[in-house]
Amino acid sequence: MTATRPIVDNDRSKFDFKDEIVYLTETKRGLRRETVEEISAIKNEPEWMLRFRLRAYEHFLQRPMPLWTEGLDTIDFDRIVYYRKPSEREEKSWDDVPEKIKQTFERLGIPEAERKFLAGVGAQYDSEVVYHSVREELSKIGVVFMGTDQALKEYPEIFQRYFGTVVPPEDNKFAALNSAVWSGGSFVYVPKGVEVPLPLQAYFRINAENTGQFERTLIVVEEGAKVHYIEGCTAPIYATDSLHAAVVEVIALPGSKVRYTTIQNWSNDVYNLVTKRAHAHANATVEWIDANTGSRKTVKYPSIYLRGEGATADIISVAVAGRDQHQDTGAKAIHLAPNTRSRIVSKSVSKDGGRATYRGTLKVAPGATGAVASVRCDALMLDDISRSDTYPYIDIQEDDTTMTHEATVGKISADQIFYLMSRGLTENEAQNLIVQGFLEVFTKELPMEYAIEFNRLVKLEMEGSLG
Amino acid sequence: MTTSAAETTPGSAIRAPRQAPTDLTITFAEEAAVRRTSEALGEPAWLLADRLAALGRFAELPIETNQLYTTYVDLRSARLGGVVPYEAPATVVEAGGDGPAALPDGADGLIEIREDRLPTLVLSGEARRAGVVLETFGAALRRAPEALRPLLEGGSLLPTDDKLAALTRATWNQGVLLRVPDGVRLERPIVVRWALGAPGRALVTRTIVALGEDAGLSLVEEQEASDAGAAAGATAAGAEVGQAFFAGTTEVVLGRGSNLSVASLQDFPGNVVAFEHRFARAAEGASLHWALAQLGTRLVRSRVDNRLEGDHSSVEQVEIVFGGDDQLFDLTSYTRHIGRDTTGNLLSKGALQDAARSYMKGLITIERSAVGTDSFLGEFGMNLSKQARSVAIPSLEIDQPDCRRAAHSSSVGPIDEAQLFYLESRGIPPDEARKFIVLGFLEPVVARVPLASAQDRLRELLEEKWAAGRRSTVA
Repeated sequence: MTATRPIVDNDRSKFDFKDEIVYLTETKRGLRRETVEEISAIKNEPEWMLRFRLRAYEHFLQRPMPLWTEGLDTIDFDRIVYYRKPSEREEKSWDDVPEKIKQTFERLGIPEAERKFLAGVGAQYDSEVVYHSVREELSKIGVVFMGTDQALKEYPEIFQRYFGTVVPPEDNKFAALNSAVWSGGSFVYVPKGVEVPLPLQAYFRINAENTGQFERTLIVVEEGAKVHYIEGCTAPIYATDSLHAAVVEVIALPGSKVRYTTIQNWSNDVYNLVTKRAHAHANATVEWIDANTGSRKTVKYPSIYLRGEGATADIISVAVAGRDQHQDTGAKAIHLAPNTRSRIVSKSVSKDGGRATYRGTLKVAPGATGAVASVRCDALMLDDISRSDTYPYIDIQEDDTTMTHEATVGKISADQIFYLMSRGLTENEAQNLIVQGFLEVFTKELPMEYAIEFNRLVKLEMEGSLG
Repeated sequence: MTTSAAETTPGSAIRAPRQAPTDLTITFAEEAAVRRTSEALGEPAWLLADRLAALGRFAELPIETNQLYTTYVDLRSARLGGVVPYEAPATVVEAGGDGPAALPDGADGLIEIREDRLPTLVLSGEARRAGVVLETFGAALRRAPEALRPLLEGGSLLPTDDKLAALTRATWNQGVLLRVPDGVRLERPIVVRWALGAPGRALVTRTIVALGEDAGLSLVEEQEASDAGAAAGATAAGAEVGQAFFAGTTEVVLGRGSNLSVASLQDFPGNVVAFEHRFARAAEGASLHWALAQLGTRLVRSRVDNRLEGDHSSVEQVEIVFGGDDQLFDLTSYTRHIGRDTTGNLLSKGALQDAARSYMKGLITIERSAVGTDSFLGEFGMNLSKQARSVAIPSLEIDQPDCRRAAHSSSVGPIDEAQLFYLESRGIPPDEARKFIVLGFLEPVVARVPLASAQDRLRELLEEKWAAGRRSTVA
């Protein structure tokens, strides 16, 4: 069986959010019922969570692999390690990090210490300090922001009330997988009427714990409260594990406002399969701001279920697909209550043989009278070896819905390039400027420092395309 | 008492398992029946072999091979278990059906297939002299079997990955061949008319339209109730009437620079389940125009394939649905741009009353070779009742960015209040104003019907259907 070796973690105890004892643990490769039981036992979980995991495991076994997107059948579930306790000292060394990633850090201007963390070869202590002080500020106003595992222990009531209610294990094969073996992720709770003044950045929190493979994020925002959550960062996350299957659940209670921003930049060998869904109750607003530039394949459609009258959904989804990448992304807005509104804007760029797919659903259920919805998908293809697909599903079951959908696919026109070059830009600069402009609908929603980094990232990607 | 009734009534099947949406209840597609049909039609060996190959495909293919659409398949209203095809439909025209008197005003030809009969097959003298051929497959096979072979063998004018196309290719019992030689452009349309609806019967038919270089033709397809079908249709509401089955193809090959316009008016009675395939290959500079009106049946599943193979070829496809009761219109169209500078313009519009449903699935594919493509796909819906449901899936798959245009657009909305207000302010009563707006929404197809009588007929049918929808709303 698994070796479980306790090591003492003195240095970290002063931050007050780590257990005294860290278990250095790893389950055997492959997924069996015992693996699930073992994970639950290591985490010392309540009985109901073990049952939840096992129910999910059973469903995972029965559920066929989705065929509507290519390439998932190559995932070998027997080769994966499903649980790995993040250790204090990583065995990997900086020398193991691929040259390309090192160069990217360099060019993005990421500090030396952060690079090591991002590459998975060390922790970034400075950010832990920041995280620690942020947490103190937040706790004064009653906001909880911590790891999901920890929250299960410290806030069992809120946890049990909402966990798995937005994305049940039976939702899809990868949600079932995540539900069976989840570990890590963020838990956010914002009490009634509280407006969190600054964005909560998962980046700082995750720095301290390493990035999970099967993250589970749960965000509960009480009536009239407001929060902005940001995950990911512009630097590529170098992962040893090739499968990342996360679940994100957001509950926006009446009159609340939640914005969830993601910049996904996994290294190019990762399968990133994420189920992200929010419930928007009466007069609540949920916004997903989602960008995907990394991974080999991403399958992710941030969804909003408009459950209460007057709820609003706003989704901006951006994808850049380069060589050997398939960004299968999009959005879903499901209108379930009267007078609800949704807006979906998708922008994709494909180049160097990459494939960008928009897949989305807009549904108006019986009873959702007076729904107003719009979908806009634009795709830019930078060469003729790349591919762009658009698959929107529109299902309207009410007679007074107002719905519009527009999609275009095109390339950068020679005229635009010529004009910019006549003003003294190089061809590369001109192309870069046009792509940045194309993606601006996303960039302008980001906090400034993220926007600058994101533009720099796009520029780098573009340079690659011309090299 | 009820128990004994159940035991003695065959097929009452109280405990029958619920039919899944993908269950196809057809039982007649089996090898012995296919061999019998082939023998009855006196077919050559290659044709029987082709049928059996198709039967194999039918058995192995799932009902929907495109993973994009598997959640939008619903055959539950089709109860075709007892339906059997006609063993030997007529291939010889009935007396008087081939004389000039049988030719409708303004048309150059008419072929009429009513259930298993062939009442009319007539071509104008002008068309005959120009070398136009209009005949049944039976006649064509007797006259020159090898001429038909390249058009039929291998299903070269049908999608190869489609279960229902394979069904038709395996089990067809009637066929129409229409050839227009190089350089011949017929002024007036040719009408192909199918009438059916006799409970328990199936008409499985193929139509091949081959246009030579620079040929021109307009074709009117009329799909309507036979006498038996009209009787069944009249009692269809509520009462359990046996279903009838139609499977039909229109297989088109367009020579260089040719031009084909097809206007189709589908108004089968409410006990009919129809599977339709339209497939066209367009050579260089050829242009194709579809105007398709879908009004009838209980359930229609239709697929159109446009292959723009030659440079500068083009397709314009306009399709309307006007649904009522619990009809389901399951309409897919695939347009593939292959040659350079090809143009696709596709528009689907649906207005739904009562508990009618429409699934509009359109996919445009722009292959890497298709530089300079201009392609537009529009799917628009109008739900006129709270039980109606419209689904639109307008998709694009693009491998070549060097396009003039690659776009789609879709909207679903109620009747525009501003338009209504305008009409009412001109003294038009509200219900009349609504009718104008809805029928105006569907007008694009009506305007494209080349034959005046067919155009009038379509307008009448739309008005009748509007009135029926009003009645059921009031009731």
